[in-house]
Amino acid sequence: MVRTNKEQLIEMAVCGEVWPAAARSPYRPNAQGESVVFMGTAGVILNARVGDRAYGWAADHVEPAVSMRNREDGPEHALHYLACIGNPAVMVTGEAAGARGVVTGEHAHILVDFEPEVLEQISIGDKVQIRALGMGLEMLDYPDISVRKMSPQLFESLRIEELGNGRIRLPVAAVIPAYMMGSGAELGADYVDQDLMSNDRETLAQLGLDDLRIGDILAVQDHDHTFNRGYREGAVTIGLINHGDSYMTGHGPGVMDILSCSTNKIEYYVDTENRPNLAAYLGIGNKTLV
Amino acid sequence: MVATNSDRLITMSVQGNIVSPGYPGIPAVPHQIDHDGRPRLLPSLGGIVYNVRLGDSVYGWAGDNIEPGIAIKAPDGAANQALNVFACVGNEAVAMSGNAKGAKGVVTGKSGRFAEHVIISFPHAALEQMAIGDKIIVRARGVAMSIQGFPGVHLKSFGPQLFDAMRIEENDAKLTVPVKAIVPPELVGAGAGLGSEGGAICIQSMDHNALSKFGLDSLRLGDIVAISDLDSAWGHGYRKGGVSIGVVSSTDSIKAGYGPGVTLLMTAPAGEIDPMVVDRMNLEDLLGIRWEGDE
Repeated sequence: MVRTNKEQLIEMAVCGEVWPAAARSPYRPNAQGESVVFMGTAGVILNARVGDRAYGWAADHVEPAVSMRNREDGPEHALHYLACIGNPAVMVTGEAAGARGVVTGEHAHILVDFEPEVLEQISIGDKVQIRALGMGLEMLDYPDISVRKMSPQLFESLRIEELGNGRIRLPVAAVIPAYMMGSGAELGADYVDQDLMSNDRETLAQLGLDDLRIGDILAVQDHDHTFNRGYREGAVTIGLINHGDSYMTGHGPGVMDILSCSTNKIEYYVDTENRPNLAAYLGIGNKTLV
Repeated sequence: MVATNSDRLITMSVQGNIVSPGYPGIPAVPHQIDHDGRPRLLPSLGGIVYNVRLGDSVYGWAGDNIEPGIAIKAPDGAANQALNVFACVGNEAVAMSGNAKGAKGVVTGKSGRFAEHVIISFPHAALEQMAIGDKIIVRARGVAMSIQGFPGVHLKSFGPQLFDAMRIEENDAKLTVPVKAIVPPELVGAGAGLGSEGGAICIQSMDHNALSKFGLDSLRLGDIVAISDLDSAWGHGYRKGGVSIGVVSSTDSIKAGYGPGVTLLMTAPAGEIDPMVVDRMNLEDLLGIRWEGDE
């Protein structure tokens, strides 16, 4: 068992509301320069959940299940930084009041999974509260590896093996080379995600990255996300897919950071039999594909 | 001679004001976190910069993404969008107010998300006279410029003045473009996934070995560079075989994912550009920017 400081973490409520989709100019250029209508972020999405395919939706940046945020800037950022993947959420108002869900990602909104019968009862504007636990989580024996945005429950489900000499090993669903990482390089590593660039479909297929699921745990080679997100040979970042594919150049499925090391102390292997995915690890979403 | 539609382009004024540097307020923690986690307090974007000039090294300054000369921005969002998209590298700029009124400069680049600025080089004597807020007009010309016979090559922020000086040649249905260096795709950083009609894309500089391996450790402000496997036609993203060309327009950064800012000039997603590395390929020579009285 990897030793952590989980007993020292603070459990704190943060809240928001189910957020409506907003359409800007309906037409935007896709990677081929054709005008397309974008939909996919915000609202309640009934048919794309964690465990479902990241590709193939007729939509852009699909946020699985419920997207929530807070109207006020300070509380909104508290939601972004404090809510961790695997944290429990509860519907506070509306037809689904009392229903329980699980945080699955952070993107333009905080993403929360609920069972289908609950999703059908949720209205835009319903209040959601999250019991945030995970900020400050550390691996006590691995000071060179940064941990972020994970509930202790998710951390403990990652199947981490200790190899000695400050090294760990864990299974991933796929491996991303540094040059495929795009939008999000300009943002801090504690904020949302960095997209895997999917516009070169041929390269994507050659790398085996064209069949990902939302919730997949992945390794990013030569990326050090200890402080911001950047290229460093030998570094490793472990992330998970938080949203679906995109039409836009330099975008694609979002990779949210959960572990990072500036050197090669995180080892990984692709596990095709027991797909490392949030659906399996947290027992939520669509478990049929993973 | 490579032919363009430059005789059909519109010349239009876009305008901005010299931008003040800006820092966050209370609780007074204005530091940037460098790539090793150290908080650093440094001058950054905006302002009038007196001692960092075109031709200077992008590295080694105690600053973060410094914009040489002046940086301008329009107060209104839509007007600034027009300024940031329509102003092209090589376009003439004129001071329209203040003590430097009438002074002429040249657009040398742009900045992207978090600071949608246009960067302009002026003679040192004009910089001495300028004040933050002074009105600067750019005679914008270049957007919608295209190269005859190369429909797959997109030009962005590329003033015809600069295009004509770049010695671009057609060889075997490809365009040979002289450049100072070639940036590999893994070093493309902040700017990926963002728009390519304005703004900038950073050459990541956290890994110094990678910089020297690709000859990127001696870059200077104004150097023309190629970026391999980059498709910048509709935003910036990886595409094997794609080639983009840009100009180095701001200095290095301390932040992971950041580094010298590059303003995009042209892109060939299908690879119709052949970059040719030469000893010197800098705006200073290409546009004759050696201001009288300057060092």
